[in-house]
Amino acid sequence: MITRTLRSLAETHALAARIAEFARIGDVIVLAGEMGAGKTAFAQGFGRALGVTEPVTSPTFNVVHSYDSGRVRLHHADVYRLERTGELDDLSLAELEDGILLVEWGDVVASSLGEHLEIVLARVDDDDDARIVTIKPIGPRWNARWSRIEAALA
Amino acid sequence: MIVLGIETATPRVSVALADHDGVVALVEVDAGRRHAETLVPAIEFACRHADVTLPEIGVVAVDVGPGLFTGMRVGIATAKSLAQALEIPVVPLSSLLVLAHPLRNDERTIVSVVDARKGEIFYGFFRSAGDHVHALTEPRCGSVDELVADLVGRQQSIICVGDGALRYREQIVDGYRCDFADAAFPSASALVAIADKEARVEKWVAADDVAALYLRKPDAEINWSTRESA
Repeated sequence: MITRTLRSLAETHALAARIAEFARIGDVIVLAGEMGAGKTAFAQGFGRALGVTEPVTSPTFNVVHSYDSGRVRLHHADVYRLERTGELDDLSLAELEDGILLVEWGDVVASSLGEHLEIVLARVDDDDDARIVTIKPIGPRWNARWSRIEAALA
Repeated sequence: MIVLGIETATPRVSVALADHDGVVALVEVDAGRRHAETLVPAIEFACRHADVTLPEIGVVAVDVGPGLFTGMRVGIATAKSLAQALEIPVVPLSSLLVLAHPLRNDERTIVSVVDARKGEIFYGFFRSAGDHVHALTEPRCGSVDELVADLVGRQQSIICVGDGALRYREQIVDGYRCDFADAAFPSASALVAIADKEARVEKWVAADDVAALYLRKPDAEINWSTRESA
């Protein structure tokens, strides 16, 4: 597990860009954290690093946005509006293996998402711009890349 | 009577037309997750080139899974609407049976394995029975380890078929020595061959009674304690 303090939005974007370098087709990245913690900001930095040219916007109401303009396809999902795990099956998020899948609030349905990288963002009490980020690999797919990710974020 | 077969349970879209003498048209498209865009033009193409008009179709056969839900629901919705519009019945068939069917002359126990994604597979055991195969087990959803444990328990001569078998070939062979068929995806040519026989004895259902065989985990309420505190 890696824990870092991010001092600004720019640092959140930069961290997302570093992680994007290690992501490949079929990967799932879970973005956890309360409202306003920076999940969508992370997705925006991540999308930009992949070369996505369209604006990456919150998928809260559309549930999934897909972007084709980057070096690989990016699926950006938000499960905030779901009430039951059956709805997750209806969405077939787990079948989206043709790109990289980011899932906001994905921690609540993590067991249905298979192997993934978990990124938890939290606000810092006395600093509106700062965030604490915790990153954890879940499963061999990410464990295999973990030492290189640790080195890159050191 | 003409049978139309619709197969969309895997990344492949496969459409076939058959009369009592066998398959008269087969269209297969491997274009990833584009079932909705591909399926109806493929049906139209098959009908046009086989000189079949829609009213000549007497029954629709459709693969109802288990498989990828994104593709399956396109095929099932199309089969149901065609059957309703043409007022004809539907023969719903399992993807695992359709995969096993081309191996119906094989002496070995057949294991159909469909890739369910995220480390899971759908699988079922079949045995040759003359001109068809019959299922030895209900379709299951599980891990490759569970399949291997099942194979080890049986100690039979086995042939595996399907994209799940090919994807996890090494892991399966490491656990239990067995053979693999080349086919990755179920074909509508097998679908219509099975359906033609079923239709002759009127083993069919009304369009309304066709549903996807989706081996879901139990539906549960999502624990939103984090959202409530936000």
